Amino acid sequence: MITTTDQIYQVFIKSSPEKIWQAITTPDFTARYFHGARIEVSPERYVSHGPDGATWGDGPVLEYDPPRRLVHQWRSLYDADMAKEQPSRVTWEIEPQEGGYCKLTLTHDQLDSAPKTAASVSGPGWMFVLSGLKTLVETGTPLTGTSLPAAAAS
Amino acid sequence: MDDDRVFKALADPTRRLLLDRLFERDGRTLTDLEAGTEMTRFGVMKHLRILEEAGLVVTRRSGREKLHFLNPVPIRLIHDRWIDKYTEGPASLLASLKNALEDNE
Repeated sequence: MITTTDQIYQVFIKSSPEKIWQAITTPDFTARYFHGARIEVSPERYVSHGPDGATWGDGPVLEYDPPRRLVHQWRSLYDADMAKEQPSRVTWEIEPQEGGYCKLTLTHDQLDSAPKTAASVSGPGWMFVLSGLKTLVETGTPLTGTSLPAAAAS
Repeated sequence: MDDDRVFKALADPTRRLLLDRLFERDGRTLTDLEAGTEMTRFGVMKHLRILEEAGLVVTRRSGREKLHFLNPVPIRLIHDRWIDKYTEGPASLLASLKNALEDNE
C-alpha cells in the first residue's frame, strides 16, 4: 500500500545492473558514497557500520534478487532518538534502460511510526547517497562534495 | 537522464508550483494537485507529464489512484556537477597550505 509518507527517489545511471548491485551491496563501495558506512548485505541480513566501527544499521533482508531487487529493513541506529523508532523499509530496484543506462529507484516506506527517521533521510539524505553512488559507478571516483549527514540535516 | 529536460521542466512557473506543492506534501493525486491552481485538469496533466519525463516526478499506482512523488535527485545532480568543482578548490588550497607549513618546520 502506497502512502503519503513514502519517499521515492529515482536516478539514471550509465552502467550495468551487476555493477550497480555490487555498489549497493559491497562494503568497499558503500564506504565511498554512503557517508563512509561499510554496508554488508547477505540474502538474510543488512548490516551497516560507521567508519569508527559503530553499528549504524542492522536488520533482516526481506527480498534478495540480484541484480534487480533488494528489500531490507531500515533502522537508524546511528542516532539514539531515531534508534527507538519502529523499523521502516527500503527497496532498491534496478531496471535496465536503452543506451546502456539503468533506472535505479529507491523507495523508503513504512515510515508512519518513524517520523524522525523520515525527516532525517528525506531530500538531501537519500539524494546525497544516490548522487554519490551514480558518480562512483560511472566514473570510478567518489564525489568530492562536503555534504556530510550533519550538514544535510541542519 | 539529460539536463536539458530538467532545465526545460523547471523553466515554467506552474511546474515549479507543482513541485513546491509536492515538497509540502508528497504522494498527491491529480485531483489534489489540480485544486488551488487556475488550470484545467488537462493542463495540469500536461505539466505533470513533462515533470515526469524529466524525472522530477515519479508516479505510483495505489488502487485506482495515481500518486505523484517529488524526485529531487536530478536537481541534486545538477548541483553536484557545478558546485562540486568549487569544493575541490578550497580543499586542495588547504592541502597546499598544510604542505607548505609542514615543509617549513
